[in-house]
Amino acid sequence: MRTWRRSAEPYLFIMPSLVLKLIFGVYPILWALRFMFYDYKGYGEPVFSGLANFERLMRDKLFWESVLNTFVYAGGKLLFTIPLALVLAVILNGKLRGRQLLRGVYFMPTVVSTAVMSVVFYIIFNSYNGLLNQVLKMTTVISEPLDWLGTDLAMFTAILVAAWGAIGNNMLLFLAGLQGIPKDVLESAEIDGANSWQRFRYITVPMLGPVLQIIMMLAIITALKGYESIMVLTGGGPAGKTEVMYLYMYKLLFPVSTGESIPQDIGYGSAVGFASAIIVGLITAAYFYYSKKTSRIY
Amino acid sequence: MRAGVAASKPNSKSAFSFGRAASKLGGRLTLWAFLIVMAVLVLFPIVMAILGSLKTNSELNAGTSLLPQDWQWSNYTYTWKEANFSLYAWNSIFLSVLSTIGILLVASMAAYAVDRREFHGKRMFIFLQSMMMFIALGVIVLKPQFNLMVKLGLHQSLWGVIILLVAGHQFIFFILFGFMKGIHRELDEAAMIDGAGFGYIYVRIVLPLLTPALGVSALFAFRGAWNEYILPLVFTMTQPKLMPLTVGLANLRYGYGGAVQSHLMLAGAVLSMLPILVMYVLANKMFMQMSAGALKG
Repeated sequence: MRTWRRSAEPYLFIMPSLVLKLIFGVYPILWALRFMFYDYKGYGEPVFSGLANFERLMRDKLFWESVLNTFVYAGGKLLFTIPLALVLAVILNGKLRGRQLLRGVYFMPTVVSTAVMSVVFYIIFNSYNGLLNQVLKMTTVISEPLDWLGTDLAMFTAILVAAWGAIGNNMLLFLAGLQGIPKDVLESAEIDGANSWQRFRYITVPMLGPVLQIIMMLAIITALKGYESIMVLTGGGPAGKTEVMYLYMYKLLFPVSTGESIPQDIGYGSAVGFASAIIVGLITAAYFYYSKKTSRIY
Repeated sequence: MRAGVAASKPNSKSAFSFGRAASKLGGRLTLWAFLIVMAVLVLFPIVMAILGSLKTNSELNAGTSLLPQDWQWSNYTYTWKEANFSLYAWNSIFLSVLSTIGILLVASMAAYAVDRREFHGKRMFIFLQSMMMFIALGVIVLKPQFNLMVKLGLHQSLWGVIILLVAGHQFIFFILFGFMKGIHRELDEAAMIDGAGFGYIYVRIVLPLLTPALGVSALFAFRGAWNEYILPLVFTMTQPKLMPLTVGLANLRYGYGGAVQSHLMLAGAVLSMLPILVMYVLANKMFMQMSAGALKG
């Protein structure tokens, strides 16, 4: 009796977690994996359609353009975020007056809502009466308002907004990694006459190695998956210029109140979701493989 | 080697001290210029939102000055009362508080059992939790989740959103699992000898000792729920009465009462950010500690 009770106890304690995970975590995944082989528009009976959704995927120009946009968006975001975050982390890892305050300031974007900030940025980047254009005109940097959310600049603006939200978090991760580097290694290099760039290049970066790899992987995955701020800022527009693959998926599954509407198609949306997950997985794996290879040089 | 450095030191001091000091000063100046520019860029949108929220709409659109000419505090009362933000705020509080409590309860119970006991399927359970952190299927899973809530009759209330937020507790599970390892087992063993049961030890010994970790986790879970956008958007799309702040605010882009009113949107944005910003100012070390912990977990 006692032993029976004893062995049942842990199951009782994981039960809420397990039940929630199975019902709302595992089942939806299996559901999506099933319906990507179905013709299912959200109404009527789903009909098995074999690989039809994947054939459509291969031919779907909108999807492949969204994949390309995702690469530009994620690449641009990383290009802004990672170097700035690393430089800030290295500076704030040193002895500097006010470093706690500065860390707090740079980290602040991480705590506020992406959706809320995207509404603010929507007003800031507005072309006709946007706050940024006002400031730039006041300081006579520009004479004509720039169309920040227009065809040419929308993607760049979306990248800036994404970087604004991501630098602080990555800085903090780098700081955590930097604290693992023994101070005396850097100090002895300084005594040996290495300047700050050399110390950064030949000691900090190589010694960050594995941590850098994890941070980069996390950053790559979040950059490829992110669509919330684009959804609020541009809705994928203008003319699909900022349509990323996860946003495209959203539009196939749920009605959107703005922009060019895409007819709801749950079966096809599931296929797009599966393809997107594979693309993210492949890129992450490729980065992992490549960074392992290059790290052997050190 | 060391002797060489020591010997050359006084020498270099006399010969190069001026140049060195100058370049060092230049370096420090560029360093600080960089840090300040970055801080300004980070704060710019938040400050602009606060200032803009206190202007009239025409003043905001004209953009003649940075500071409001007349501080329009009425924007806030209008947003709060007329634009339904009091309702949105209540919805946000309701779903954030309840989902935070739920997440802490479910995750701490699971972490306790997994850390303190051996049982069949334990590795599978941990694998399940970690799998949920890495699958990138995106928003598709929301469709079956929504259908499930329709079947359960919970899609017309915020309970559906709360249950789904609680179901996404894997991150907090791993954080608490990590902290749990740091609590000495001798304490529960001593209690066990005194006749305390598994549940009693959880409530009376482990949870009190876990308080700091629970505090950090609560902050994190609350922030996540408060800032959540897509999930409540899908659930409350047709039910404005249930919208939390994020959804209600983003909907203002389509105009309130005909025209887009930027000043009210900014007031709404500031209202939505305020609780989290206040929490951040009070406990920013805890926020940062949590995010850095993700690296070790």
